Amino acid sequence: MTLRVNDFTINISTANGTGSQSANLIILHSMYEMGVPVSGKNLFPSNISGLPTWFIIRASDAGYQAPGDYTHIQVMMNKDTWEKDLNNLEPGTIIIYNQDLKLPVERDDCVVLPMPMTKMARSISPKMAKLMANMYYVGALAHILKIDEGAIKSAVSNQFGGKEKAIEWNLQAIAEGKAFAEENWDYESEYLIEAREKNPNTYLIEGNEATALGAIYGGINMLSWYPITPSSSVAESVISWIPKLREAEDGGATCAVVQAEDELAAAGMVLGAGWAGGRGMTCTSGPGISLMSEFIGLFYFSEVPGVIWDINRVGPSTGLPTRTQQGDLSMLYEASHGDTQHIVLIPGTVDECFEFGWRAFDYADRFQTMVFGFGDLDLGMNRWSTAGFEYPDIPMDRGKVIRSQEQMDAITNYGRYRDVDGDGIAYRTLPGSGLDPILYRGTGHDEDGIYSEDPQVYLATMERLKRKINGARDLLPAPIIREEKEKNIGIIFYGSMENTIVEIDDMLEETGLSVSTCRVRALPYHSEVESFIQEHEKIIVLEINRDGQLFGILRKELPAHLLTKIQSVAYSDGLPARARIYTDLILKTLNGVKL
Amino acid sequence: MSILKLNVINLEKSEYTGGKSSLCPGCGHDQISNVIIQAAWENGINPEGIAKMSGIGCSSKTPAYFLGKSHGFNTVHGRMPSVTTGANMVNKDLSFLAVSGDGDTASIGIGQFIHAIRRNLDMVYIIENNGVYGLTKGQYSATVERGSKKKKGAMNEQAPIDLCAMAVNLGCSFVARSFSGSKKQLTALLRAAMSHKGMAIIDVISPCVTFANNDESYKSYNYVKANDEVLHIVDYIAHFSPIEAVEVPAGEFKEIKLFDGSTLRLETVGNEHDPTDTVAALRAIHEADKEGRHVTGLLYYNPDKKTATETLGLTKTPLMALSESELRPSKESLVQLNDGFRTN
Repeated sequence: MTLRVNDFTINISTANGTGSQSANLIILHSMYEMGVPVSGKNLFPSNISGLPTWFIIRASDAGYQAPGDYTHIQVMMNKDTWEKDLNNLEPGTIIIYNQDLKLPVERDDCVVLPMPMTKMARSISPKMAKLMANMYYVGALAHILKIDEGAIKSAVSNQFGGKEKAIEWNLQAIAEGKAFAEENWDYESEYLIEAREKNPNTYLIEGNEATALGAIYGGINMLSWYPITPSSSVAESVISWIPKLREAEDGGATCAVVQAEDELAAAGMVLGAGWAGGRGMTCTSGPGISLMSEFIGLFYFSEVPGVIWDINRVGPSTGLPTRTQQGDLSMLYEASHGDTQHIVLIPGTVDECFEFGWRAFDYADRFQTMVFGFGDLDLGMNRWSTAGFEYPDIPMDRGKVIRSQEQMDAITNYGRYRDVDGDGIAYRTLPGSGLDPILYRGTGHDEDGIYSEDPQVYLATMERLKRKINGARDLLPAPIIREEKEKNIGIIFYGSMENTIVEIDDMLEETGLSVSTCRVRALPYHSEVESFIQEHEKIIVLEINRDGQLFGILRKELPAHLLTKIQSVAYSDGLPARARIYTDLILKTLNGVKL
Repeated sequence: MSILKLNVINLEKSEYTGGKSSLCPGCGHDQISNVIIQAAWENGINPEGIAKMSGIGCSSKTPAYFLGKSHGFNTVHGRMPSVTTGANMVNKDLSFLAVSGDGDTASIGIGQFIHAIRRNLDMVYIIENNGVYGLTKGQYSATVERGSKKKKGAMNEQAPIDLCAMAVNLGCSFVARSFSGSKKQLTALLRAAMSHKGMAIIDVISPCVTFANNDESYKSYNYVKANDEVLHIVDYIAHFSPIEAVEVPAGEFKEIKLFDGSTLRLETVGNEHDPTDTVAALRAIHEADKEGRHVTGLLYYNPDKKTATETLGLTKTPLMALSESELRPSKESLVQLNDGFRTN
């Protein structure tokens, strides 16, 4: 028997609302505690209780963070998906199941390991049996994978922080599950978890929490939000962390939090806050961006700073609310009617969620415009490893704000929209300052902010706005480029695809290809993206959507002679990106197979 | 030496004026703009501290025509309350003076209007209510009365939305109705609204001279003049000049103490109206409505409601004025934060 150490995927099938998330996180954290590179994906339904949920844990010494392409160990706790779960399995899969569900497991080609989980849980607490039953599969996995007992204990005590009774009961259930497996299963597993040296600085955190912390270190002082999956935890994290991290001398709040009546209002509040000199932010998902679009145009045209985080879920329409996608990118870039163009920051790691969380405010103030943060459910709501967030290395940039009469007097021929520095960015004054008051408006306006329908005035304004946002290109986060000498194939990608790209790259190189990668981290895209395209023979633009949205943007903005180089590989089924699927699509595209 | 009269902060009235109006000659809205200028000047409010807010429509254009020394924002249709909310959150020391119309408030913006009331946003919210959409050439709005008829087209048969009744039901802290043609009443009510802390709504019937000033229109000048049911005579007595030229009335009156120490005196004219009683306010509105009349005056007042920023317990300094060290937690805090995550 060949052993597979730290290289396999576990799929745990449960029903939503049965408390399985605690059990799943205990498995994830105990492996992580042992220094094993591990990732966890929660595939949950749009429902509070009853619908099927899968949790996918992948251990990978290679550091692959995508859900694996095959399930090696299947845990079965859900009646409703029983048959389908069984039918999906490859021969040889280990099946651990709750035999109290009294359903047949007719897979002679698999390793079938039954355990009376509910019955055993009842002996600890009849009332809590349904919840506790999950801990028995933790015990079962601990046994067959040889997970360290100390790591399990530490994960349990962190999961139920401070609740002694819960820690005791859950540890007991795990021990009983382990003992049952030892006594009743005559099976030696080929899959093993083996401790690795752990970087003591690392920990796991969700992208949304990282974004929220970044926003707090960025000086957020107005948060407006309307609850929507998968962005709500950005707002909820800001709300829970602010009082712990910031306190005014008089004990009052330093950030106003308003749960808005809808996303339109949330965007309007960000606009009002930015206009009045604050650092306003809201977070939402695709449906919210659709609703906010009118205001987004007003941000752009009246030149008011603000930050909106879009945590992408699957569209169009209500779509698959609890699944992941990169389907909002082109909407963000050109949101609202008329000609517009917006800065979009695209983190691919939790460290970047934190960093772009604070930088977004600086960019908004600097360019006097609305800045999008663009994440997705996979990055936002799953837990990822970081070695610790880094403190902002520059002071806050509050942009071109005139705060005194002296500053005003230093500018000849001041006008709110007059480009005195030649960078497309004019100076602004704040309400309450008494300095050059104007009536901000979404209607046409001249350099002094006065209403105008003059064709030349309109033209000049629109050209300046274009220049202003274009000027941001090389000041925004540069792409992360991993380059091969050969400059043969280049893959351009972004966001949470970062979690799958290394595996895709390895799979492609196994076929003899030499592949460079370029992760775009902001729009409008950096000039290095264009150089990357220039330098490589063939370019694949890889995305988690149907239509190839970044591909569309590149095709519109690249010089014509580069267009023949780029090809789109776009695929989205709602699940986090799996390497095999994208690799096969890339190979087909390179081979000229019509997709 | 200037011969022009100065207000209590030594400013001429010209410091409160704005640009030239582009509304139709004779528009009720221009009269309201004049009252706004008068009230702000008489109250001695520093124009620099005022933020003028509006949505979209004829009325929402007017902030360009008054208080030229104040910053302002002519936002998008029906969404002015949310922009005001955001600005108020980061600078609670600004005096927000908002102008909206019946289309802007009662149709497209009714949701934001309701939620601004619910939060008790500290602002003056004037609705310049003429029952028609002027800028798009005279379509009925949602506040037009059943049986009312504009200059062209059919009679309106749908029930109106009464914004004052709605505001009273929602617990708005200051609800008044007036008429653009009643300069004295409107000035006193607006001055009181400016002295109030919390959301003050004044629904001002303001005839549209172009599309609905015919006698069959319930919001025409002649109709309102003939059917104005005045609740009480209102007199505003500023806190800085309690002996201002207001004669003590011979008959019965009530006095209302406003947040800044000023007083609004309500002289009884017919039945006595108690503005602290929501039921009385609603009865006055609905009874007048039954008879096709407009009740004007201070309908409801509640000085004890917390404002939006008070409810949130914000620090004393306006949030936009907090320094970087107050807004960005220390480097040490991030070290502790990272360590906390590592051990948990």
